[in-house]
Amino acid sequence: MSDPMIALTLLVVLIGLLAAGVWVAIALTAIGLVGLVFFSNAPAGLILATTFWGHSHSWALTALPLFILMGEILLRSRLSNDMFTGLVPWLSRAPGRLLHVNVFGCAIFAAVSGSSAATAATIGRMSVPELTKRGYPESLILGTLAGSATLGLLIPPSIILIVYGVATEQSIARLFVAGILPGVMLIALFAGYVALRAWMNPELIPPMDRTYTLREKFAASRNLIPVGLLIVGVIGSIYGGLASPTDAAALGVVLATILAWLSGSFSWRLFGEAVMSATRTSCMIAFILLGAAFLSVSMGFTGLPRNLAAWISDMNLSATTLLIALTLFFVVLGCFLDGISVVVLTTSIIMPMVTAVGIDPLWFGIYLVIVVEMSQITPPVGFNLFVIQGLTNINILRIAKAAFPFFLLLLLGVVLITIFPQIVTVLPDMMGN
Amino acid sequence: MGRVLDRIYTIAGAISGCLILFICLLISAQILLNGMGRIVPGLLPSTIPSYADFSGFMLAGATFLAMAYTLRSGGHIRVNLMIQRLPKNRQVVFEAAALLFAIAISGYALWFMCSLVGESLHYGDVSNGIVPVALWIPQTVASVGLGLLFIAIIQTFVELIRTGRPVLSTPDEV
Repeated sequence: MSDPMIALTLLVVLIGLLAAGVWVAIALTAIGLVGLVFFSNAPAGLILATTFWGHSHSWALTALPLFILMGEILLRSRLSNDMFTGLVPWLSRAPGRLLHVNVFGCAIFAAVSGSSAATAATIGRMSVPELTKRGYPESLILGTLAGSATLGLLIPPSIILIVYGVATEQSIARLFVAGILPGVMLIALFAGYVALRAWMNPELIPPMDRTYTLREKFAASRNLIPVGLLIVGVIGSIYGGLASPTDAAALGVVLATILAWLSGSFSWRLFGEAVMSATRTSCMIAFILLGAAFLSVSMGFTGLPRNLAAWISDMNLSATTLLIALTLFFVVLGCFLDGISVVVLTTSIIMPMVTAVGIDPLWFGIYLVIVVEMSQITPPVGFNLFVIQGLTNINILRIAKAAFPFFLLLLLGVVLITIFPQIVTVLPDMMGN
Repeated sequence: MGRVLDRIYTIAGAISGCLILFICLLISAQILLNGMGRIVPGLLPSTIPSYADFSGFMLAGATFLAMAYTLRSGGHIRVNLMIQRLPKNRQVVFEAAALLFAIAISGYALWFMCSLVGESLHYGDVSNGIVPVALWIPQTVASVGLGLLFIAIIQTFVELIRTGRPVLSTPDEV
């Protein structure tokens, strides 16, 4: 069999296993075994055990449970309740008014929790009823929520970037820093779109109900400010080279716990729930990473990714052509798979191709995350769509239609970082080593 | 029997949670020592020996020990879009097949993980940090975790056959 055929066969078997409801981590491991047993002479069982063990105790991976725990603790503190009331006074004069609460609420929350579904659920639970009550158009409420919640994947500390960094042995600190400007860019695109719509059809947006003094503004958001400082501190210490992501995550957990206690309504029971929830999520992700690591090692033995990379470079594809092809492929793949699985599959098989045409792996990580964000809001498996459907009981296709402009904005984001790669690379370059 | 097993998975999960908290404390203590070292040098030792190694081993323990608990609470992610469209009796067939497949894969991994522990014991492998740790100790914890996962999948299969419907809840997303 030729290499592209083998790759295709493995991919079909994998999709078959996944479609049949096999757990992602188990399916990845199984494909790794198929590769080793049928397409190499290496001792499969021994490699499986050493890979599982060797990849389970890395220092970089230690940041994963800690950042998840930080998010879980803040999620259970009063922060999420104060998000809506804290943002309303600041945004009531902007064109598009309170629709921006969705955009900025999601952006702040994204920095706290690395998950887009949790972001959509937490912000949507407060903002959808409030905005509907005040007469904002449904399509924009749902669209801004679905679109902005995907920022959870990109804005650091991002869980999916840790996964990418661990799987490709990229510096997680640099990846986090690289995600800052593209995150700001997407927030600006989303907010700009809302403002543009409001400006074109002023009757869409209900009138301002009242004005706020500066003192009222600060009073309303007094619980948000410490959390903002915490996030800035965590990211800042990584950017300044004061702390590794793992160190920053550990401090983040300690500070988040103190903040949660100080803000009141936090208890040992909630703390325990946060720890157990973080344990489950981190176990799930680490297990997938182990499966993916084994798949990568197995693919290394078969020589498949290397040959595919050679095959691609023989075709003399330009980086842009490859990126267009990959974007299409990821959007389709993302319709059926969750973001983390898309990322680990990519890193096991596609990475050599990407480096072969001269794409910077750091840049590619950010690109990949934005493309995965797009797949969060495309049917049939857009997780954000499911979450919002669960919140509002509105038909998923109607939500997908409302989210479509935001899909296009994300696509625009991808185009922008392709034309101006500096958006991604300038901050990490300034960081030095 | 089933309840006792679920109890065991939960306890193992709680140990995982404690390990994550320990990691957090260990790293925080190290950061504190660093800071102390800058303010009053020499008062306390500036590093906890091999703290990165210890965090790593605790992470491995946390991951493996939580596997069964995560499975039983529906935390491991999978695609059930296709399955949900099928009639109930077909769903059971697919669930059974997926579970049997998972039993085979996890059993295989468990077997070789145990033989890795055997090798580490045989050769007396230790970690290469300042504090040498005999590798069979954390590896045994990992094997116990995989063993629990193996048992949990078998238990889920048995319950599926007995009750005739899928037992596991499904996760929303990460």
